[in-house]
Amino acid sequence: MLSRIFPERLSSTWRLGILELLLIVSIVALCILQASWVMRRNLNGIARAVVLDDLGEYAVFYDRHGLGEITQVFEAGRHEEDQAVRITAPDGRLIFERIPPAVEGYAWPTESPEPMSPLKSVLMTVQDAQKENSLLIGCRLLHDGNLLWFGRTDAHDADGISRIREKLWLVGLGSTLAMLLPLMWFTRHVVRPVHAMVKRVQALAEGRTDDRMVAPAAMPELQSFAVAYNNGLDRIASLTTELQDANDTLAHELRTPLARIRGNLENFLDHYDQASVQDAAARGIDEIDRAAELIQTILTVRAGEHKALKLHQEECDLPELLRELCDLYQAAAEERGLRLTLDAPEPRYAWVDRQRIAQAVANLMDNALAYTPRNGNVILALEMNGKNPRIIVRDIGPGLRPHEMERIWKRHSRGGAASASTPGMGLGLSLVRAIAHAHEGSAGCANREESGAEFWIELPEGDPLQAANDV
Amino acid sequence: MDILLAEDDPELARQITDCLNAAGHLAAWHSDGAAACSAALTSHFDVIILDVNLPSVDGFQIVETLRAAGKHVPVLFLTARESVVDRVRGLKAGGDDYLTKPFAMEELLARLDALGRRAANASAQVSAPRKVGDWTLEPIQRRLRNADTSIELQPKEWTLLEVLMASSDRVLTKKYLLEKVWDIRFDPGTNVVDAMVCRLRRKIDRPGATSHIHTIRGKGYAFKNIP
Repeated sequence: MLSRIFPERLSSTWRLGILELLLIVSIVALCILQASWVMRRNLNGIARAVVLDDLGEYAVFYDRHGLGEITQVFEAGRHEEDQAVRITAPDGRLIFERIPPAVEGYAWPTESPEPMSPLKSVLMTVQDAQKENSLLIGCRLLHDGNLLWFGRTDAHDADGISRIREKLWLVGLGSTLAMLLPLMWFTRHVVRPVHAMVKRVQALAEGRTDDRMVAPAAMPELQSFAVAYNNGLDRIASLTTELQDANDTLAHELRTPLARIRGNLENFLDHYDQASVQDAAARGIDEIDRAAELIQTILTVRAGEHKALKLHQEECDLPELLRELCDLYQAAAEERGLRLTLDAPEPRYAWVDRQRIAQAVANLMDNALAYTPRNGNVILALEMNGKNPRIIVRDIGPGLRPHEMERIWKRHSRGGAASASTPGMGLGLSLVRAIAHAHEGSAGCANREESGAEFWIELPEGDPLQAANDV
Repeated sequence: MDILLAEDDPELARQITDCLNAAGHLAAWHSDGAAACSAALTSHFDVIILDVNLPSVDGFQIVETLRAAGKHVPVLFLTARESVVDRVRGLKAGGDDYLTKPFAMEELLARLDALGRRAANASAQVSAPRKVGDWTLEPIQRRLRNADTSIELQPKEWTLLEVLMASSDRVLTKKYLLEKVWDIRFDPGTNVVDAMVCRLRRKIDRPGATSHIHTIRGKGYAFKNIP
């Protein structure tokens, strides 16, 4: 519920920090309010007692020794800050007054608010709009019928409360700083390890199963999670190895019988002159070669999709590789009345499995040649997408419908432009993508503005030949 | 040539032995790795054909043992393992060539010829001038020349002609030509080899005459010099 009050992208550290700050500020404010209220109540009671007490004392001094005694006692008490005393006649006339400057300006009453009797004291509070403090005044009837007034401001009490309030705020600041400690702990032992773990999981999603989770500073629960996760990865790794072994075994088990059948068909072809027998044998040999190629393609696609494809990576000058592929398809393109051009001016080295990348590009070229109408253009280009080399095959064929853009990359799926006369099992593009993925790269396609489509294979920039490329 | 064949599949071994014998070679067959290894160490062979997956000792180990014993007899791996990684491993172990199953018998013979030639030429390097009809090949200039004129060949056309002529009269598969001419070990789909052969024919054949390069249905191409 609390999480809803934060913006979605706000990190947990900030959320916790803000929550803690709000909590501390609320607690400190509540403490201050409560403390002020309690203290004010207590000090009020004390102030009333002081006023009543002093009023009684001054009345006794006056009754026993007269006005002079009051003057002496008041001055001896050094109450210039907050106390004042005065005596008025029954008709309200002022007889005596000692009001220090700090207590000046209050409107003293001229007569008692209620009927007075000996020993009775009356208390009242006088406010003044100009002054911060209020004046608590006590009134008592003297034996000669005059009224004794004693006043005391709450300046001292207010000072005390204000000092305590300041101290409480300091305590609040200290608590806020102390709050940074759990926040730092949370960042170091929870947030950072979780971020590191997220990176590892993302790597897994991209197919890298070699990385293991390490979280030395993480809290124990996260460490347990890392151990469980790594165990899962170990299991995946062993399954992948099993899959590779199964693939190898399958390939072996199928290839040897295919070789036997092929040998026998060749025997037919060599030793029987009958045209129909020769034709059947030749077709059979073609089928066997195609089946062997198909087995290999399926295994490659499957292994590539699971990042289990064994690569023989080596230094490769990509434009040189593309030039050779261009050469390979040149005669076939001419035969179809197509113009094949190469656009790869700069040398660019990459760390790739030369055969696999050539196979992927050859698949794109094969498609481009099959779908481009006579007198059309097919362009094989090497461009840079940021720092990543991108091999592009452009054609002026029918292009792609929007819903085909992703579908054609799936196994056994063919584009709408394919017909019965265009050969293929719909494995070509999935093979291209599998090879690109095995190289930590990507493959994609788009329609060209002019007409036709372009297909690309993008390789990662991170290669040990970066320096050579920069030169 | 005396050829040692190590292959654990009896039917395939029979086919290969028949084919080798028919081609004039003398083949000795072993189905077990250890037996093949000891035969290779004790007897003389011109070429050895090794399956990789063999009982008791695998093909890679046999080559390593032979090379360690100072035997430099050419070795051709004949295996169901297709990946480049396996191929590289085989060549690193000391193998000289690598052929994957299923394969064409003619291609096996062509590769064996090449290995035999390589071993023979290692001592005596003699290169007689090669002829296509009345054309003479000029290897340095990579062109064909007769009394009147010359034909310039593009690099891949030259290599294709050279590979075909090196196994003259033998039927070479497209797969073999792709590997030897373009260094490609996969099916490139489009009829690239056919198209290149057509182009080469247009350059080297006399108009209307029988072509030097024969197409053999279901098998591939064969070079036959027509004087």
